[in-house]
Amino acid sequence: MSSAEKAIPRSLAEIPNSRPRYIGRPTNRLEDPALLTGRTQFIDDVVLPRMLHCAILRSPHAHAKITAIDTSAAEKLAGVAAIVTGEDARRWSNPVMTVPPGWGTHCLAIDKVRFVGEPVVAVAATSRYVAEDALELITVDYEPLPAVVDARQALAVGSPLLFEENGDNVMFRKLFTWGDVDAAFTDAAHVVQRDFRWHRLGANPLETFGVISQWDEVEGTLTCRGSFQAQNHFAMSRAMVFNLPLHKVRFISHPHGGSFGGKGGARGTDITALLSRKSGGRPVKWIEDRMEYLAGGASQAWDRHYDAALALDVDGKVLGFRVRLLDDLGATAEGWGAVSAAKPLTAFTGCYAIPAAQYDLTIVATNKLPGSPYRGMGPPPHNWVLEQLMDLAARELGLDPAEIRRRNFIPPAAFPYTIASGNEYDSGNYEATLAAALAMGDYRALREKQARLRSEGRYLGIGLVTTIEPGVFDWNAYAIVGQPGTGVPEGATVAIDLFGKLTIKVGFALEGQGQYTVAAQVLADWFNVDIADVRVIPLDTLSAPPHFGPGGSRLGVAVTGAVLGAAQRLTEKLIAVAAGLFRTTPDQVELRDGRIGVKGNPEASMPFQEVAQAMLGRSDLLPPGIDPNPEATYVWTAPGRTPADDQGRAKSYLTAANACHLVVVEVDVDTAQVRIEKYWIADDCGTRLNPASVEGQTQGGVAQGVGAALLEEAVYDEDGQLRTSTFMDYLLPTIYEVPMTVKQALCTPSPFAPLGAKGCGEGAMHATPAAILCAINDALAPLGLEFREVPASPQRLWTLLRQARRDR
Amino acid sequence: MKPPIFDYATPASVAEAIALLARYEGEAKLLSGGQSLVPLLNMRLARPAVLVDLARIAALDWVRVADGVVAIGAMTRQRTVELAPEVQERHPLLHAGLQLIAHPQNRNQGTIGGSLAHADPAAELPALAVALDASFEAAGPEGTRTVAAADFFLTYLTTALAATEILTSVRFPMLPARTGWAIQEVARRHGDFALAGVVAVVGLALSGAISRARVVLYGVGATPVRAAAAERLLEGHVADAALLASASAQAAADLEEPLTDVHASADYRRDLARVLVGRALAEAMTRAHAA
Repeated sequence: MSSAEKAIPRSLAEIPNSRPRYIGRPTNRLEDPALLTGRTQFIDDVVLPRMLHCAILRSPHAHAKITAIDTSAAEKLAGVAAIVTGEDARRWSNPVMTVPPGWGTHCLAIDKVRFVGEPVVAVAATSRYVAEDALELITVDYEPLPAVVDARQALAVGSPLLFEENGDNVMFRKLFTWGDVDAAFTDAAHVVQRDFRWHRLGANPLETFGVISQWDEVEGTLTCRGSFQAQNHFAMSRAMVFNLPLHKVRFISHPHGGSFGGKGGARGTDITALLSRKSGGRPVKWIEDRMEYLAGGASQAWDRHYDAALALDVDGKVLGFRVRLLDDLGATAEGWGAVSAAKPLTAFTGCYAIPAAQYDLTIVATNKLPGSPYRGMGPPPHNWVLEQLMDLAARELGLDPAEIRRRNFIPPAAFPYTIASGNEYDSGNYEATLAAALAMGDYRALREKQARLRSEGRYLGIGLVTTIEPGVFDWNAYAIVGQPGTGVPEGATVAIDLFGKLTIKVGFALEGQGQYTVAAQVLADWFNVDIADVRVIPLDTLSAPPHFGPGGSRLGVAVTGAVLGAAQRLTEKLIAVAAGLFRTTPDQVELRDGRIGVKGNPEASMPFQEVAQAMLGRSDLLPPGIDPNPEATYVWTAPGRTPADDQGRAKSYLTAANACHLVVVEVDVDTAQVRIEKYWIADDCGTRLNPASVEGQTQGGVAQGVGAALLEEAVYDEDGQLRTSTFMDYLLPTIYEVPMTVKQALCTPSPFAPLGAKGCGEGAMHATPAAILCAINDALAPLGLEFREVPASPQRLWTLLRQARRDR
Repeated sequence: MKPPIFDYATPASVAEAIALLARYEGEAKLLSGGQSLVPLLNMRLARPAVLVDLARIAALDWVRVADGVVAIGAMTRQRTVELAPEVQERHPLLHAGLQLIAHPQNRNQGTIGGSLAHADPAAELPALAVALDASFEAAGPEGTRTVAAADFFLTYLTTALAATEILTSVRFPMLPARTGWAIQEVARRHGDFALAGVVAVVGLALSGAISRARVVLYGVGATPVRAAAAERLLEGHVADAALLASASAQAAADLEEPLTDVHASADYRRDLARVLVGRALAEAMTRAHAA
């Protein structure tokens, strides 16, 4: 296309429709009828001819040498078609790519195992039952090695080493300094410093990972169907693992039951690919069960030890913010977990104008499950540390938690605003969001109620936090931990068929967030048609335009940009044809409210569909040299992104959404139970493309935030055995634990993003754990207690309360 | 998570089921709701030769409220009893206890007899049975026999039932007049097995003194635990805050080492027991005065 191509519309007023019906209005999701009637085809519903089923034998040891593997009895079991071990993996594949590089293994353990649940042997058989029977016939001899389970011990001299060849367990270490942080702390009137511990927890989508891999030895190709969050990303990794050209790897992502960051199952995909190859090209299905997911899947993230400090002047203005983070990534860096330690750079100082900051980051390996991405990708623990320190500073200075935040907000006039760690916030009005939350909850009345109940011996806590949700992720944020790149493309192809209906072809599968609906809303409003006239079709990696898919709160914004760009290009094509039909020049023709006609002459117009029909069925009417294909593709990528400098500073995530959470909890100091009484959220994510979906994302984020704050924890004992291997022990929040929140929407549009929309998919997970922990600490304040661990389990709270009882 | 091969039988009568148990000589497992057994099968932690599904035995599915007793057939679903209006009206303690069992979905499948025979020490029904002096009817090759609740729960997941016996029914006596009750528990989430729980029943004499006290703890031992010394402290006295505090302290102190697991230490469970006994007794006293 020419360089004169129009910019992507940044407001609804710029689209060629005077009466848009869908964008910005709660819109029923196109995805839902099939989901609600059980007709959506998930990967476990897919049955291919001659398909085999895989079961995986996993390590019972946290750290051990493999001295012998005997599969001979299993090979003789009727129904077993193929068995693969680390030797097959070594022969046919490469170690998986990792971030940071050099901390990965093959999909099946070779020589030694590094965590409980690591795949060691895999079987393909005629059914999963037979495959699991076969596992019982396999013997693996181990020579146990000392395991290191604690991140601090992993740093100690003489610690067991996960990768001996690397010399120590330090996967990554860097000190980032932004501004004169030493001066800030030297000049401070107050310094508030604390340690914090966020224990391992992670994503638990309704559906675990599943895949069917098929190796074609004749064509030299690999085809994988599965629940991949980012199909193209996994296809690229497989091309590297199996030394295949990328166009010989086809990934077909199926609808999946949620992801929250880690859906993709690299090991399971590689293992089934090996089994398919060894069984002569039969398709091999593996459906990860929940116990496999909890012990060996994408279920764990953010195992963190923090030591952090705020420097403040006499008025409570924050001068500097220091964070030292020891991040325990587990056995390898295969799960993209390290990017979660890098992402906090994109909103390091939260909603506040803090001129100087420092991030002393160390990522270590231990004998636990490799960490995976999880909704929010790292900022949720970071936000908790920052917000809790703000509360503690307020207490030290005698300020209200609302007031100290107000004094430090980036003011509305300062946007776009570059924070100390280098990212640029597009827009915001944090004071308005705070004011809305305080008004909704009647903050003053809450404080009065709190005082009244305290006199009755009850401990109410009020949590008030303000956070940023960075939206529309960019690879540049992850450059510092070894993930190169600037810009993340998302493509869409828009077409009109002979009967005048519209199709959008995209490169991502249904995952639950409702982005097909967003795409259809945009196109329906662009051409002024009923949304039922638009169909969204997902394509595989070899058919779709360049794409990434969901991740980093990007896809709603990105697909809007792609559909707008494609619609704009398609409109230019229609106009070129229509100009011929109307015997005028293209600059005299426009699309308006679904009709294409001559500007200023309402008589000379026709429905846009008729122009497309002429392109497909009346070549005799077309101007010479015209492209007769009523279809156009556009690949959107965030404008203005920059590569990171040596301190990690970059224009990275395109948008900065803002929320204020206000929560009231009651702590039963005798039983150590925490009950959430009421929850309010004021939220500003710019233009809400589908407000109904934003509402769902927010409430879902609250649910996961409640789980993180109070319930969820992957517990390993000192030998590295996982003690939370089922949902009896790894506790997810249920409808009884999650409050329905009272919400208010504010709108400060993004000046940079399509239609002014900001990323909001990671939602309330950014703020909820911080809000609940701040509330608990507010409740405990009159007892002189501070609680600085996540989750705030009753056992931990009781231990603290009992200690206080004894001390009194 | 797929079970190994097993046979599956669906007897239509108790006699047929007993014959199957005898034939498989301890290698059989009764399926009576499956809320605990099926996960154990799928994890290959239980490996029975045969699964004897009791669901087709209609003669085990009934509720009768009469003569001061709520009698229930062993295969009656927990939800059926919970929703029976006469149970709700005439045995509010049993009704309240049933509502604490897991979630409605589990209670739709789970049976009264299944939970009692499984004998999880953190479950509500065994504690209710002990607190109410329930009696169990068991059928075996030698005929039927009655076992008192006090003699039924031997240790963790173990009852007085022989390998060839089937629990056929249970009788929960109703509470007499001037009697109050409470069931309180602390669980990680709504519907989880209790970290600690207590069933308290107090009867009042005309004088206002406690004539009869029954305090049964669950989740804190290998079986439901009767706090006998605490009961003796209470009986014959007019309840006040100090009495309830000493009774609850006694109940907690008398516990053998409670379980330590990923959710709660033995000390935390013991302390919860103390707090919950105090609260349950206070609640039961309030009801007793109102009764």
